[in-house]
Amino acid sequence: MSKKLTLLAVSIASVIGFGATANVSAATSADDLAKAIAKQEAEIATLKQQLQELAQQQSEQLASQKQIEIAQQKQSVAVTEVSDTVVAAADRYSKFSFKSYGTANFTSDEYFDNVQDTSPERRNRFDLERIVTEFGYQFTDEWSMEVEIEYEHGGTGAALEYDGFDEFGEFETETEAGGEVLVEKAEIRYRPSDAFGVKFGNIHLPIGLSSTLHKPNQYLTVLRHKSEAAMIPAVWNENGIGVYGEIADFHYQAQVVSGLNSEYFRTYDWVASGHQKRFEHVNADDLAFAGRVDYGNFKTGSAVGVSYYYGNTSGNRNKSNKLNVDGSLSIVTVAGAFVEGPWVLRGQYMYGTLSDSDAITQANKTTPGLRPGNFAQLGSKSQSFFVEAGFKLNDYIDIPMTVFANIDYSNPLMEVESGAATQRYENTWSSIGVNYFPIPEIVIKAEGGLQQVAVASIPDTNFFALGVGYQFSL
Amino acid sequence: MNFKYTAISFALVGTLSACGGSGSDAEVVTPVVPETGFTFVATDLITNLTDDVIVAGYSALAAEGDALLLATQALLNSTSQADLTAAQEAWKAARKPWEQGESHIFGPVDSMSIDPHLDSWPLNTTDLQTQLAIGSGFDAETIKGWNDDVQGFHTMEYLLFGDGVNDNTKLIAELTVAEREYVIALAEVFRDYTAQLDDAWQVSHNPQDANALPYADLLKAPGSDNNAIYSSELAVIEELVNGMIGIVDEVGNGKIADPFGDSLTTADTSKVESQYSWNSLTDFADNIQGVRNVYHGEFTGSADKQGIIDFVAAADSALSIRIASEIDDAILKIQAIAGADDMPFRQAILDETGRERVATAVTALGKLQTSLESDVIPLLSDWNAQ
Repeated sequence: MSKKLTLLAVSIASVIGFGATANVSAATSADDLAKAIAKQEAEIATLKQQLQELAQQQSEQLASQKQIEIAQQKQSVAVTEVSDTVVAAADRYSKFSFKSYGTANFTSDEYFDNVQDTSPERRNRFDLERIVTEFGYQFTDEWSMEVEIEYEHGGTGAALEYDGFDEFGEFETETEAGGEVLVEKAEIRYRPSDAFGVKFGNIHLPIGLSSTLHKPNQYLTVLRHKSEAAMIPAVWNENGIGVYGEIADFHYQAQVVSGLNSEYFRTYDWVASGHQKRFEHVNADDLAFAGRVDYGNFKTGSAVGVSYYYGNTSGNRNKSNKLNVDGSLSIVTVAGAFVEGPWVLRGQYMYGTLSDSDAITQANKTTPGLRPGNFAQLGSKSQSFFVEAGFKLNDYIDIPMTVFANIDYSNPLMEVESGAATQRYENTWSSIGVNYFPIPEIVIKAEGGLQQVAVASIPDTNFFALGVGYQFSL
Repeated sequence: MNFKYTAISFALVGTLSACGGSGSDAEVVTPVVPETGFTFVATDLITNLTDDVIVAGYSALAAEGDALLLATQALLNSTSQADLTAAQEAWKAARKPWEQGESHIFGPVDSMSIDPHLDSWPLNTTDLQTQLAIGSGFDAETIKGWNDDVQGFHTMEYLLFGDGVNDNTKLIAELTVAEREYVIALAEVFRDYTAQLDDAWQVSHNPQDANALPYADLLKAPGSDNNAIYSSELAVIEELVNGMIGIVDEVGNGKIADPFGDSLTTADTSKVESQYSWNSLTDFADNIQGVRNVYHGEFTGSADKQGIIDFVAAADSALSIRIASEIDDAILKIQAIAGADDMPFRQAILDETGRERVATAVTALGKLQTSLESDVIPLLSDWNAQ
């Protein structure tokens, strides 16, 4: 702009300059004057044209400035929109939660080839025990949901199907590979207040401490407590509805859920394998009640609690004409935890009764295709307990490490309805070990111990286990 | 256009049939089918095998079950060694039809889980001793509810013959009151299961459904309207041949090879079946005798009836004779394991020359198994079944 004005000024100055010179020479002849006038007029015409061009350029400039302003306005609107979207997204994201935990183990156990064998052989094994992913979403202040998917032993799985159209009614297995993928929890929660909430869907039963304390940093042993696994489903989940809440330091839960199926009860783990996860559909002709009251919080520290389970188990059998008794099952647990300073002390006692256990044994034994193997006999009473005690060394040496001692005991065949119960399934595992936390999210465990069977002629065996576990939440 | 083609084809047909009138028309009318496969009518074979081998065997087993119960009941207050010997013989007598029947261990014996109830091995001696020490007044109903490893053939064997380590004889005075009660209760449980098995073949194959057909009828009338198990004679023959292969495999690669180990140091006598009575070699030979029964279609010594041998002969007579001799050879080689000094199997696997004889028997069984799998099984697809 300034360059053009300068040009203009120079040209005006030169015209005037020329004019002065022309005046001098004009006097000399009219011809020359006429020439000079013509020349001046031509120059003025050029000047006008230049002025016109300038005016046009100015107006064009004004127009482009206006456009720039419009663009700027648009931009600021867009920026506001984006920031609104980001805020909304962040808000949505804050309602989403993701957690994961998992464990991989190496175990070295001694086992016996058969029931006659009294000289054990050692077997070392690796196991990608489980990888668990938990997705949650908080729809509103009151409504939320959570889904937990577990990959056991590296994935895929098997489903057992009962085909009622086949001649006898037939059990069919579809096996995919070594492990399992299962939905361990899929629940919708409505929680208007701390004191009261409702959850429904596929929910965890509050029976046994493993359901509450199943992340690797929540128990000290390498594998979860064997005593509990020899009696009830580990991390027990069922379809149903439950209420829960906390009042002062009391936590309560009460649930009505799908029951167990006695077709798959076995000598060695009592009612645990009656968990209907092996079927594509869960029979729900017999429902069960589960309840729990804790004082304190087992997840975060010290607590004491009791839990109770009651339900019939015969109605859920696929072959309903084999048994016309209830097979009612009741389980009671008492548990305590003391977690303070360097000390961790946890324990649980579990006791269960099963009615009509002889009739169930007989029905399982004689159902075509069911194949209980040599494990049909069922305990009418069953018991187990564990005590684990740990001491954190953090305060004394500069290593985040806990040393522990553990005792697990279980006897799924504590008593039978008729005759004497064999003691072959009465097991005690005693061990000592360490938990080392290189960072808080990772724990590395080592454990060595002794397994004793109550039968005198079966020798004690030694076991050793190494494990690594992680847990985190976004 | 179409009309033209039709006209042409009519003309051709006319010409051809005119030719046919004068030449040999058989070649033109019937398409030439290359002669593949063989023809055999299997109805008699299946009927004979079912009635004279399988049903007859289970019915003999049920009868031996009755006899065994009587023989053990005689022990209750007896002080006579002859009574114990008689019970031991009754046990061996029941063992024979059962072991021979393992060559056709399909149908009710499988679906009703009768096999583990009767013949679980190994025996859980620890639990058995516990029961004997603390229990009393044993009755059949209670014992039925216990795990299979403290009942059936081998529990009775242990009680009647002793532990079998140094000998297979037991004195009647050694038989405790609890042992007597227990063995009688076991024999009753055993009798019930053998009767159930016999009924399943002859009365109704599903104890819960009185209208269900006897299993023998299902086998004998494959493809009939209410037969959901066997759709054709081919399916029955296949089941029978696979049954033979199954037991040859189990005897050679399981019952003998497992305790045999790969050397004297890995031999494991605790895995020897029927070790208390020293009846192992008789068991194994009876297993292959069962194969022989199915193959020939009748028990040895009975009048000749059709068996799998006739099916094989219809396709390849040389093969049918070869298989028959391989079966006989396997039986002889198993019996020969005992050697000149009548060594029981549990001793033979711990003896250098005994082991050589065991290896010879395993080879004979392997040869038979290969022949059945690679020469007889393919005949099933060559058979122009009805």
